[in-house]
Amino acid sequence: MSRFGTLPRRLVHLVVILFGITLVTFFLLRLIPGDPALAILGSSYTHQRATAIDISLGLNKPIWTQYALFMGRLFRGNLGYSFFYNAPATTVIVQHVPPTLFLVVYSAVLAGLIALPIGFISGLRRGGVVDQASRVFFTVSFAMPAFWLGIILLLIFSVHIPVFPISGFGSGFAGHLYYLFLPALTIALGFATVLVRSLRAATIATLQAEFIDTARMKGISRARVLRRHVFRNAVLAVVAVYGVNLAYLISGTVLVENVFSLPGLGSLLVNSVSDRDYPVVQGVALLFAVLIVAINLLTDVTQASLDPRVGQEIGE
Amino acid sequence: MLRAHRLRTLSLGLMAIALVSAGCSSAGSSGGSGPAAGSSTLVIANAVRVDTLDPEANSVNESIWLDQNLYSRLLQPNATGTGLLPDLATSWNISADGLTYTFHLRDARFSNGSPVTASDVVFSIDRSRKFAGGWGFLLTPVKTITARGARTVVITLSQKHAPLLADLAMYAYSIVPAKLVQSQGKAFFAHPVGSGPFYVTSYNPDSEVDLARNPHFYGTKPKISKIRVVIVPNDNTRVLMLESKKADVIENPPGNLTSQIDGTPGLHVDLFPSTRVDFIQLDEHYAPLAKLAVREALNYAIDRSAIVKLAYQGDAIAGASFMPYKMQYFDSSIAPYPYDPAKARQLLAQAGYPHGFKTFLITVSGDIAGQAEAVVVKSELAQVGITVSIQSYELLTAYAKEDGGHSEMGERYWTNDIIDPDEVATFGADCQGGANAFNSYWCSTQANNLVSQARLELNSARRQALYDQIQQIVYAQSPFIVTDYSPYRYGVGSWVKGFHVTPLGNYDLSLETLTVGQH
Repeated sequence: MSRFGTLPRRLVHLVVILFGITLVTFFLLRLIPGDPALAILGSSYTHQRATAIDISLGLNKPIWTQYALFMGRLFRGNLGYSFFYNAPATTVIVQHVPPTLFLVVYSAVLAGLIALPIGFISGLRRGGVVDQASRVFFTVSFAMPAFWLGIILLLIFSVHIPVFPISGFGSGFAGHLYYLFLPALTIALGFATVLVRSLRAATIATLQAEFIDTARMKGISRARVLRRHVFRNAVLAVVAVYGVNLAYLISGTVLVENVFSLPGLGSLLVNSVSDRDYPVVQGVALLFAVLIVAINLLTDVTQASLDPRVGQEIGE
Repeated sequence: MLRAHRLRTLSLGLMAIALVSAGCSSAGSSGGSGPAAGSSTLVIANAVRVDTLDPEANSVNESIWLDQNLYSRLLQPNATGTGLLPDLATSWNISADGLTYTFHLRDARFSNGSPVTASDVVFSIDRSRKFAGGWGFLLTPVKTITARGARTVVITLSQKHAPLLADLAMYAYSIVPAKLVQSQGKAFFAHPVGSGPFYVTSYNPDSEVDLARNPHFYGTKPKISKIRVVIVPNDNTRVLMLESKKADVIENPPGNLTSQIDGTPGLHVDLFPSTRVDFIQLDEHYAPLAKLAVREALNYAIDRSAIVKLAYQGDAIAGASFMPYKMQYFDSSIAPYPYDPAKARQLLAQAGYPHGFKTFLITVSGDIAGQAEAVVVKSELAQVGITVSIQSYELLTAYAKEDGGHSEMGERYWTNDIIDPDEVATFGADCQGGANAFNSYWCSTQANNLVSQARLELNSARRQALYDQIQQIVYAQSPFIVTDYSPYRYGVGSWVKGFHVTPLGNYDLSLETLTVGQH
C-alpha cells in the first residue's frame, strides 16, 4: 500500500501543473510578435483585413475574456478551432498523434534491444572488445545530430541500397514498422548511448556488491547469478534513465519528423507556433505536459514495483 | 520472481498495445510512397503542408497552386502571366459605360457529373467576396452579381474597374457547387468537387494529397491520370527523393544543391520567371531614411549584381521597377540603379550624413538567400560609412517588427496573386491602400491619384502610360530598395516533359498536357 502511497498526491500535482501550462502557453504565445492575422495575410496585410480576421477568430476580445472562454471550452473537452486548418484543434491533434506515438515506442523498443545486451556485456567484460567497440560507436552516434544521421541513413539505405522508403508513414502495423524503421533507428542510436553507458556503470557497480559474492558462495551458477542478481539490479538504474529520456523523446522527435516527412506532433507544434495557430499550440502543449507527467509517474511506479525501497522512501 | 516476470510481460504487452493502437488509428492516413507506377502518375514533392483546399481561405502558395487543378474560374491567366484565357466563361461583353459585364458560360460539369450553372458562379463569387479578411476588397466596386438563366452571369459595378477580369481569374474566385458547399459546410473541402482537370481522391494535408483525372473536365483530357502531391519539408530529403526517382518534380531545391542536381544524369533544375520582387523596405520614421538623398545613396551604394550572384547563384535578375518584371504594364525602360559608391557618398554628404549613420536590417532567420543578401548589403553600406547591424528573426516576428512603423531597414518580398498591376500598385505605391506603401510610410499624393486613375482606366494604352508614371515616381523616390526579381526553382526529372510554371506560380495549365516517361 505504502509503496504507491504518493499516487493521489501526484495526481493533484498533475492538475496544478496542467493549469500552470494553460496559463503559461496562453499568455506567452500572445507575447510573441506577429499574430494569426499576419500569418494568414503575410505581405498582403492591411489593417482592415487584419481586423476582420481578428473579429472572426474572436481575437478582438479582451485577453482575459479569451482565456476564460478557452478554459470554459477546455472543460468541455473542446480546444477551439485551428486557424490554419479550418478544423477543430482536437481533430487536428488526434490525427498527428499516431506517427509520433508509434515512432517514440518503436525507438524505445529498438534502443532497448540494442542497449541492454551491449551495456550488460560491456559491464561484465570491462575493456573487452564489445566494451571498446561500443564506446567508440556510441560516442560517435551520440555526437551526430539526428537531422544529419537521418540523412546519412537515407542516403545509404534508401538511395544507394534502396531497401527502405524515403518518406511517409505507411499503412497498417507492418507498413508502419517498415516505413518508420530508419527514423526509429535514428532516434534509437542516440537514445541507446545513454542506456548503454548507464547499464554498463550499474553492472560494474553491482558486480562489486557483497551480495553477489554471497550468491556465488552459496553455489549458485554464474549464469543464474548474472541473470537473477546482477542484471535485475543493474537494470533498475536504467529504468529511471529510460523514463526521463522517453519523456524527452516525445517532444524531441521534431527533427526526425522533419527529415523523414512524418506528420507527427513535433512538426505540428513547430509549424503551429510559426503560424500562430494558438488553439493547436495550446492543445499540443497540454498533451505533452500530460504525457510527460504520466511517464514520470509510470517510471516511479515501475521503479517502486521493482524495488520495494523506492516507494517507501518517497511515500513516508 | 513471479511478480517481476508478470511485470515484464505486462510492460511488453503495453508496448504492443500502444503500437497496435497507433497502427489502427492511423490506418489509411498515408498511402505509401513507393515509386511512381508507370508513366500515368506524376509525383510532386512540396516543401510545406496544405492549409486548406477552400479557395476563399487559402493563404499558402503551394495550396493555391494545388487548388488551381481542382477548380475552374470564369477566366484564367495564360502561361506567360500577361493575359487572360477563357475558363468557364467562353466569352464576355462589357457595356459601353464599362459598368456591366456579361459572362457566357460553357457547358461544363463538376467532377461528380452535375452541371456548372450560373447560380454556382454567383454563389461562389459572393461567398469569397464576403469571407472575413479575404479578397473581397478587390471587388469593392462590384454592386451586383446575378444569374440570368443557367448559362449567363451579369456583374454590375458602381464605378469602372479595370482589373475586374484579372480579379475574377484569381484563385479566390474559383467556382464551387453551391448546393454541396451549403449542405456540407467546411467538410466539403476535405473532398472537394470542382470542375478543374483533376479531383481529390485522398486528402492528408500534412503528408499527401492525391488527385485523379476528372472524367467530366470540359477541356483537353490530361495525359497523366493521377497526381500525388507529397509533403516533404526537409530540403535534403526532397532532393534525395528526386535523385532516387521517387518524385518527378520537387519544389524549391536549395540553391547550394542546384549544381549537384544539374550534374546528376537525368535531372535538372528549372527556373521559371516569377512575379516575386525582393526589396529592402525603408521605414521613413527613421530620420535619415526620410531624406530622398539618403534613399538614393542607398540605391547607388548597393551592388545588385553581387546580391544576384551570392544570394541567388546568378539565377535572379537585378531589380529596377517595384512591379514584377513578368506582368502587364511593367516598365522595361527603367534600369537598375548602377553601383556607384562615390555618388552614394556624395549624396550622403549632401543629405547631412557625410560620415554615414547607424541602422539595422531585419532579416528572416533560416532564409539562406536573405542572409547572404544581408551580408552583401552590410559590407557595401560600410564602404559609404553606414553601419548596419543585421537582426534575424523568425518569419512572423520579422514581419511584425517591419510593419509597425518602428523599423529602419528590412528585407521583404512581394508576389502577385493576379496578373493585373492594380494589386501591387495599391500595396506598394498608394500610401492609402492599406499597406502604407510596403510599410515604408512614404506617401505621394500624385502616386495615390495615379493608382486610383489607373484602376478606372479601361483603355490599355492609357493604362500603360499611368503605370509607367507610377513606376517612375517610385523609382525616383525609392521608398524601398528593389534588389532583384528571383525565379521559382524546381528540380525536375528529364522523364517529365512539359512541366511549366507561370509567373503567378501556377502549373495547372502545364499538367493538362505534361507527360511522364519511363524512369
